[in-house]
Amino acid sequence: MQNYDVLVIGGGPAGLAAAIAAHKNGAKTLLVEREARLGGILKQCIHDGFGLVRFQEKLSGPEYAERFIDEFHKLNLEAKTLTFVTRLEKNASGFSAVLVNRDGVETVTAKALILATGCRERTAKQVNIHGTRPAGVFTAGTAQHFTNLLGELPTKKCVILGSGDIGLIMARRLTLEGAKVLGVYEAKSTPSGLTRNIHQCLHDYDIPLYLSHTVTRVFGADRLTAVEIAEVDDKMQPISGTEQILECDALILSVGLIPENELAETLDVQLDPKTKGPVCNAQLMTSVSGIFSCGNALHVNDLVDYVSESGEIAGENAAKYVKAERKEIPVKAGSRLLYAVPQKLDLNSDNQKTVLYFRSRDILNGCTFKITVDGKTVFSKKYPFLRPPEMEKLQIDFSQYQLSENSEIQLDIEVKSDE
Amino acid sequence: MNELVCIVCPKGCTMHIEQENGAYKVSGNTCKRGAQFAISEMTEPKRTICTTVRTVFSQAPVLPVRVSAEIPKDKIFDVMREINSIIVKNPVRRGDVLLKDVLNLGADIIATSDLLRQVEK
Amino acid sequence: MNLNQINKKLNARFHGAVRAKLSGGCIILSGELPTWQDTVEACQLAATKYSSTHVVNDIVCREVKSLPMRTPKLQDSALDGRKPDILIIGGGISGVSIARELSKWKLDILLVEKEADLALQASGRNDGEVHPGIDLSKGSKKHYYIRKGNAMFDEICRELDVPFRRVGQYVCFNKGFAKPLVYLYCLYRKKHSGISDTKLISGTELKRIEPNFAEEFKFAISNPSSGCVCPYGLTIAYAENAVQNGVEIALNTAVLDMEVENGEIKSVKTNRGVVYPKLVISAAGVFAEDIAKMANDRFFSIHPRRGTNSILDKKAGAYMHSIASVKDLTVSKTHSKGGGILHTVHNNLLIGPDAVETYEKENTETHKESIEAVFSKQKRTMPKLSERDIITYFTGVRAPTFEEDFIIESGRKTKNLIHCAGIQSPGLTTAPAVALDIEKMAVQMLRRVQTVEKNPNFSPIRHGVPVLKDMNDKQRAEMIRKNPDYGVIVCRCEEISKGEILDALRSPICVPTVDGIKKRIRPGMGRCQGGFCSPLVTQIIADFLGVPLSEVKKSSADSAITFGRTK
Repeated sequence: MQNYDVLVIGGGPAGLAAAIAAHKNGAKTLLVEREARLGGILKQCIHDGFGLVRFQEKLSGPEYAERFIDEFHKLNLEAKTLTFVTRLEKNASGFSAVLVNRDGVETVTAKALILATGCRERTAKQVNIHGTRPAGVFTAGTAQHFTNLLGELPTKKCVILGSGDIGLIMARRLTLEGAKVLGVYEAKSTPSGLTRNIHQCLHDYDIPLYLSHTVTRVFGADRLTAVEIAEVDDKMQPISGTEQILECDALILSVGLIPENELAETLDVQLDPKTKGPVCNAQLMTSVSGIFSCGNALHVNDLVDYVSESGEIAGENAAKYVKAERKEIPVKAGSRLLYAVPQKLDLNSDNQKTVLYFRSRDILNGCTFKITVDGKTVFSKKYPFLRPPEMEKLQIDFSQYQLSENSEIQLDIEVKSDE
Repeated sequence: MNELVCIVCPKGCTMHIEQENGAYKVSGNTCKRGAQFAISEMTEPKRTICTTVRTVFSQAPVLPVRVSAEIPKDKIFDVMREINSIIVKNPVRRGDVLLKDVLNLGADIIATSDLLRQVEK
Repeated sequence: MNLNQINKKLNARFHGAVRAKLSGGCIILSGELPTWQDTVEACQLAATKYSSTHVVNDIVCREVKSLPMRTPKLQDSALDGRKPDILIIGGGISGVSIARELSKWKLDILLVEKEADLALQASGRNDGEVHPGIDLSKGSKKHYYIRKGNAMFDEICRELDVPFRRVGQYVCFNKGFAKPLVYLYCLYRKKHSGISDTKLISGTELKRIEPNFAEEFKFAISNPSSGCVCPYGLTIAYAENAVQNGVEIALNTAVLDMEVENGEIKSVKTNRGVVYPKLVISAAGVFAEDIAKMANDRFFSIHPRRGTNSILDKKAGAYMHSIASVKDLTVSKTHSKGGGILHTVHNNLLIGPDAVETYEKENTETHKESIEAVFSKQKRTMPKLSERDIITYFTGVRAPTFEEDFIIESGRKTKNLIHCAGIQSPGLTTAPAVALDIEKMAVQMLRRVQTVEKNPNFSPIRHGVPVLKDMNDKQRAEMIRKNPDYGVIVCRCEEISKGEILDALRSPICVPTVDGIKKRIRPGMGRCQGGFCSPLVTQIIADFLGVPLSEVKKSSADSAITFGRTK
């Protein structure tokens, strides 16, 4: 049985950064990846725009991932690819993981675990699409896999439901490959993806975006032959009488991502119903001592740069992890925030460079983000606008606020019109 | 006055461009690159293409590529045609040039992955 | 009910638009009605439950569009001139279980199924409950077969290597005053109908067994003999065992016509040539009446009834571990049960089905309204149920007669024909027992024209594809040592390896489609619904077949997944 200090599960951008950081902080580290190659979803994200924050360069997904993979190999880090974690157990000395691969079944132990398991896509049935069950209903990620990794065209004429970034990127990608994208339909009244993607993926290619519209049915006994589109009311319910049938051969769904935490749940890691990721402190340690979370498994990020950053935080802290007692206090997010990470601070840890992520619940203009401790404003920052698709990141020195176990930390957004 | 959304970075600033005596005045941008982008959108809009090329390797039938520099927006589909005629026969590296100076636009087609180094024919 | 009474009732309701007459031992209804709902009502008025004098529906319904049976694209002459001893029509649970039992005999048996796989209609689109028969009255064929069938499941599933669990069924009541009445009902069913294990349990006892059920339940009927099985898994297992024992199964093969002379089927036309069987067994589900008509032996009618089920994430599977329904004390107008909650053998929850009359035999579209109706009812049993846990839903079409009973008999006019028709719930439970009876009938009929000997090579044992995730680490490691592909996980939701997928492709009935593999070993059945694994499974199938990816289908010949290379 092999013993490690840190076991990283998932070889995407979060896991790679976490493993590198854990190693650099002196931990004997193993990374486990279920696919044949490292890089995670970035392998198929061949579009550019990655790394602007981190490298001040516009890299494609593979280029971004391979910078980390190169470093990973240069540091002689150990990875087991095509390896699946089938079971995790917690014991007195840490954790044991049962791994399955071509060599058999193997148990390894680690003092700390980093869950970098990414997220999965919501499916057609999760957004109430009815009708037949034909070929030609794909999530955007699946369509992307076929197009970019297998070089196969999944559609010649399609409708895209959901204006999430992958949907927008796929609209452009499929158009470049000669497919006709009839339109992107979004049930919400505002787009879900980044504004620039609306422009460079849709407007540039004359692909229409229909807000407050959804797909309600699919048709076709064998391959999809058409979809039914309907307008929706402000509760996102289809308005009867507005239905129209669009002939096409595929429906591509970009209707949201769900952090993958099924492994975490087997170890009773507490999840936040809003982020659907683990509740973490600023060291990205979950409610279970010794288990860390990062990347899209923690919460869905808009930029990979933040994914890598959270991986580094988790990696560094996992390496430093000692089974010390924690003294945690909650970080409460006000009603204008969709959510904020971390949800807790550990007063026994170093909180000088706490990285705070948040999203607003609605599109807000002329607003101020405020942190109060026991009712006193300790930090504020003005934003010309805040939009839910765009995540905000701040670095806060919480050590200067003389926090005690009874301190109340509250995050809020104030809007000019409040006054 | 023209309004446009900046695509340089994920911020997506909404910018306004005014033409005054043949010069452009940009407002609403939060960085210099934004202003440059706005002016280029008014004069000669340029874009990057990221796509794939065919390979002879069965385990990696396509290889991701991009243009090394931005190309005129209206040449996108012409450049795509050139890219689609490439077949990669060797295990090239990330950054290797697969097609030089595509359509004399001053941009090369370069591989964006080391993928082929890891697969066998 | 005599003819006069029937016509009186019909006149009162339809004012002369419909007439009943007796002919050839059946009640033939003719006339014209505007809607299918009316047509079904008229036939139900004329029918007597469980009677062998059947209603034949010749009413012209103005709403009904002529919907020809969907037939396979395939056209060849692979079966042309074949002279099997027995031709079985239909690859659902009925057809394949009959084929398997008949494979005990040295006979040339051909089974044809028009779909691209087995169990693609009702047998693959039901809830998989093995019923106790509590709601069935003596005198019906359903009742005659239910206890026999139910009792056979342990052995059959062991022989065929199919997971089966007797999880128990609870019919829950929220009105305490009904208890004495329900007690008498149970006693009657126990003594008179032979449901020996049925009993009443208190609300407290129910709470102990299923803590997440509604607080207000006062008592429940408990039927410990109820169980669950994977319905398509069992169908495929039966079929594989039949094939191992010499039965030929032709998929994508539809019966299009028959030549009948002097009360005897001479030949059967298919899209793959003309077949000359000595005996025909019809197990054609919703098309049983159409087959009977081709065979010149139509004495019953089928009125399709669709039902929709939802499958919930395994996380919700932890909410309950049995089969449950809530009972209202009002008289229900629908014939099949109003659905329930079932913990499946794969540890998901299954919710449903509802029951909607339809003339469309092959329309398996789902509707939002079905899901809503079923959930609002089932939340009364378990308030914790949430539509948010749905991972998929599907519709099946039942094939009842108007008498709501099975037809298990030889042709009334045509000699070399056996009908296995009107099969609906609890047809999965009864199938093993029905198959044994039809086996006897068929052998008897054939013995009139030839000798029938035992098949000396018959083996009742079928081995399914090994399920590695259910093995202990040592067994699993040993399997991987022998075949490293068992260590390559392709479907992470259901933990299915490449080795298992290749095993399924090499199984006795190879159906090299994404759905074919999914039905056999479950990649794509989990919470991501194939989002991650479908490209990988498609690739494995393409490599196995040695064809381009775009040649791999989801299911039927026209269900291509991709359209060829991007460049």
